[in-house]
Amino acid sequence: MLTFVIRRVFQSALVLLIVGLVAFSMFRFVGDPIDNMLGQERTDADIARLRTELGLDQPFPVQYMKFLSGAAEGNFGVSYRQGRPVGDILLERAPATLELAAVSGFLAISIGIGLGVFTAIRKDGFLANFIMSASLIGVSLPTFLIGILLIYLFAVVLGWLPSFGRGDVVHFGWWSTGLLTSSGLKALILPSITLGLYQMTLIMRLVRSEMLEVLRQDYIRFARARGLKEKSVNFHHALKNTLVPVITVTGLQLGSIIAFAIITETVFQWPGVGLLFINAIQFVDIPVMAAYLMLISVMFVGINLIVDLLYFAIDPRLRTEQKGAK
Amino acid sequence: MSDQATQPATPSRLAKAWDSDFMYNFRHSPVAMVSFFVVALLVLGAIFAPLIAPYDPFDPASLDLMNGYTAPMAPNDFTGDVFWLGTDDQGRDVFSTILYGMRISLFVGFAAVAFAMVLGITLGLIAGYVGGWTETIIMRAADVQLTFPAILVAMLIFGVAKGITPIEHQDTMAIWVLIIAIGLSDWVQFARVVRGATLVEKDKEYVQAARMIGRGKGIIMLRHILPNVLSPVLVIATISLALAIIAEATLSFLGVGAPPTQPSLGTLIRIGQDFLFSGEWWIILFPSITLLALALSVNLLGDWLRDALNPRLQK
Amino acid sequence: MKRAIGIVAVGLSLAGPAFANEFKWAGTTDPQTLDPHAVNTASVLGFLNNVYEGLVRRGKDMSIEPALATRWEPIGNGEGWRFHLREGVTFQDGSTFDAEDVLFSYQRASDEVSDTRSWFAPVSDVKVVDAYTVDILTNAPNPIFPDSIANWMIMDKGWAETNNAALPDKENGNYATLNANGTGAFKVTEREPGLRTELMPNDGWWGEVEHNITRAEFTPVQNPATAVAALLSGNVNMINPVPIQDAERLADSGDVKVIRGIEARVIMLGMAQEADVLKYGDDAGKPNPFLDARVRAAVAHAVNVPAILKVTMRGNAEPASQLVSPAMRGYSDANSARPEFDPEKAKALLAEAGYPDGFSFGLKCPNNRYLNDEAVCQAVTSMLSQVGMNAQLEAMPVQNYWPELREDNYDMYLLGWSPGTFDAEHPIRFLASTPNKEKKLGSWNFAGYSNARIDELLPMIQSEIDPAKRQAMLDEAAKIMQDETAYVPMYVQPLVWGTGKNIELTQRPDNFFILRWVTVQ
Repeated sequence: MLTFVIRRVFQSALVLLIVGLVAFSMFRFVGDPIDNMLGQERTDADIARLRTELGLDQPFPVQYMKFLSGAAEGNFGVSYRQGRPVGDILLERAPATLELAAVSGFLAISIGIGLGVFTAIRKDGFLANFIMSASLIGVSLPTFLIGILLIYLFAVVLGWLPSFGRGDVVHFGWWSTGLLTSSGLKALILPSITLGLYQMTLIMRLVRSEMLEVLRQDYIRFARARGLKEKSVNFHHALKNTLVPVITVTGLQLGSIIAFAIITETVFQWPGVGLLFINAIQFVDIPVMAAYLMLISVMFVGINLIVDLLYFAIDPRLRTEQKGAK
Repeated sequence: MSDQATQPATPSRLAKAWDSDFMYNFRHSPVAMVSFFVVALLVLGAIFAPLIAPYDPFDPASLDLMNGYTAPMAPNDFTGDVFWLGTDDQGRDVFSTILYGMRISLFVGFAAVAFAMVLGITLGLIAGYVGGWTETIIMRAADVQLTFPAILVAMLIFGVAKGITPIEHQDTMAIWVLIIAIGLSDWVQFARVVRGATLVEKDKEYVQAARMIGRGKGIIMLRHILPNVLSPVLVIATISLALAIIAEATLSFLGVGAPPTQPSLGTLIRIGQDFLFSGEWWIILFPSITLLALALSVNLLGDWLRDALNPRLQK
Repeated sequence: MKRAIGIVAVGLSLAGPAFANEFKWAGTTDPQTLDPHAVNTASVLGFLNNVYEGLVRRGKDMSIEPALATRWEPIGNGEGWRFHLREGVTFQDGSTFDAEDVLFSYQRASDEVSDTRSWFAPVSDVKVVDAYTVDILTNAPNPIFPDSIANWMIMDKGWAETNNAALPDKENGNYATLNANGTGAFKVTEREPGLRTELMPNDGWWGEVEHNITRAEFTPVQNPATAVAALLSGNVNMINPVPIQDAERLADSGDVKVIRGIEARVIMLGMAQEADVLKYGDDAGKPNPFLDARVRAAVAHAVNVPAILKVTMRGNAEPASQLVSPAMRGYSDANSARPEFDPEKAKALLAEAGYPDGFSFGLKCPNNRYLNDEAVCQAVTSMLSQVGMNAQLEAMPVQNYWPELREDNYDMYLLGWSPGTFDAEHPIRFLASTPNKEKKLGSWNFAGYSNARIDELLPMIQSEIDPAKRQAMLDEAAKIMQDETAYVPMYVQPLVWGTGKNIELTQRPDNFFILRWVTVQ
């Protein structure tokens, strides 16, 4: 087990290095930061001077090495747009995204698994069929449109919820939370629904599909035949055995929630890292883009690691397999 | 289905197919039949768009800007022209544009999912079955891939494609860039799920039996393991198809999508969302309904297909 | 509406004391720095005009009026300008304003690392005469110099030096990037870059207070639909811009007010005039037709500008005949007619130039730079194709667009130009002069338009004191560019702001939002 973890951490570090290399090779395709940093009365000499100063005249491997040596010391460079250390900016923005992702993820998992089990047990019920169909409407429209429609309905027409932003936040050291004020909680509702809808549907459908299969397996029939309570069969025996693929997908989706909060944050002007990243793309703010991608990589690698460890915990067959492999 | 039945070739086989469990199942599922009907209608509409559509919205010379923002079924103030579903900001007939746009969306969607599926299943099977360093490399590559949001992948491919495509072919390149970008950001899902399922399947008795009688790795993967991991793949694939079409819309929202002169369904919605507050509801409503109908039917059909194809559910 | 306001009020009461006249506004771009000399863009200078002040400033009608200088006069025979400074002015940190701050701000703003350096190209020296008199000497007579420094903002020498911000630092940022200390009517009390900036009235301000704001907050909101929703739901009191298509409906709704004006920015088509061959489309590699002035004239006649104004701009914009709008100084009234929309004439001109069947080429266009830029380019594409010029349109985000133009990757392109000096000389210098790196001329003349007489006229215009003679030369330049169709100016971009019903404010044609003209009822 320990060797497994160590090996995974080592591989993960390698992954991070590759992500960085790929990222730096593509930045020049995103655009040119120079035009955004200079006004309309800039001269060609100004352009050349700034390019040299930022090191953009060097080939990308050199730029990458520079970034790496900085990052090794915890220095991710200075944002072209804000003129402040990228590390500070990310720390300032991370709580907003993490909170949004956590709330969305919680909604997606709890409602997704709940509805998944329900629709599997009541396979042919009217309500179950209705839920199955209705849930699809949510994933059949682009996220940005759903977000805008929600804003239109709940902020403009009904006036119940704020149309953008995070509301009032309370600070604890570097962490800021919107969970403790009523305006902060209200501001969370629409974005977290928008962000979690797709994941919720996916989890629900997956749970249902796996449940349906498991419920047909012999051991479930035996369990029923042995006179175990229906609830215990459904949740203890059946649900537990559907979890391998569900955990795989859920794990991936949790990562995706953070990585792809970009759209939701843009629509709701949510002050998180996704919005920061979109602004960085528009401004070709290379240090911010690089650090953001690294952050997301760390997160994905971490989530993958946890998913793999959970595989171990849930499916005993894999344990022997891995031992054999070593 | 009926037009297939009228084909003279191998009628007995078709008749047999019609009577199979699969078709029996289909004929007794109203949801499946309605969904199939909707998908078929939309696909046919897209294929025969040039014959059905009253205008060719992709021909800039035929457009009259003064027709812009005409409401459905109401004559235009300046030109007096009437359009069933109104016109958009460029004076394009919305009905025709939807038909033409659907061609692009369906093509991008099918091609991207096919690409992602082939790539993902192949790599997932290999990773799960072969294991060892092969698995490590594939799954870590998946990690790298997952890190990059689709938008960035699209921009990268766009940039690279721009660098290598001759300047005069760059306008046709956008569609292929979209397919590759969406496909690339999607394969990991397939790979991870297939690998997970393969890990479980490969030690089951039937696989060991197959191995014992000396079957090759490739055969075992394709003939024995693949059919058994298809259930989760189908769930993902059906959602993926709808999602690919939507992803294209999102990329367009972020500024890297189909060219505005040849809008896809997604691009139409992106354009239409500018008119959400301005009163021209038809520009967004009709493309959205079309996309909703398409995505919903594909998903419902997928649901049914999954249940019908799954051998274990037919016990 | 009432309910929405109720919720806002509840939110605030939790956050702290409710503010009497709170004003919140949203714009597309966050000012990237608070340093008034680091970046010369409208978003930065417009915002900082509320915090910092110059020697002169622009009034509600764009006229130059006294600010930190009370009066000024030319020195001798056009050797420069003498500015008499306002006495008793203090910076927001309490230190006194005097001539040393002006000299320091000149040195700071004209340094090589400052983006505002080009404003001081005509300046040879700045001399402190006494504590409240400053001489600014110019290389040549410069009649419009006071006009050209309205955005040159004065920073306190002591403050900048104490905080190690004696020079702007665009790359790494410094104290002045995040903090501000001006003499203006408002001071920055909180700054979260990219998220929000809070301003409070400066109690010690020297001027007469017209506003009644007790607290102001700016939030950048990129997505236009989100901004409109925020205005409609009362979450903000003002947005800039209102998407053009929404203006009419919002104005009719009665919940909000829409304030319309004409911006200084002229939107035009540029055509490659240096390239030998076409680069895009089916005819790529064939000789470049745009070298022929008749083909360029055909473009001007083929584009139905009235239709674009009516449909795409929804009647909010004005047609443009030259590179500046009528509101600018030096606008040529003599050349105010623009080429008529006449497809037959366009076809005839094409035939005359040897292209009876037209040709195919590439049109490059930004899709997030100007109002409805992509839609305008689409309309142009379809109009040109109707006379046989088949444009292949490629629209892209602006961060990819400028590099394309710099690398000459276009046959035709869309460009908007807003003269920083509000004078017709500006676009001649940047867009029409033959590109010359050493003389810093024609730096935005991507097309490579070149005319010897224009190059000759420019320095003469720059140093002419007599307004009539100067105007005659500007008229001549405008005429030459029209005759040769150097560019195809199409329209002047509209300015559309939206406010709550209880807000009174003044919209200035340079799209600067001036907080001290806002009253909340």
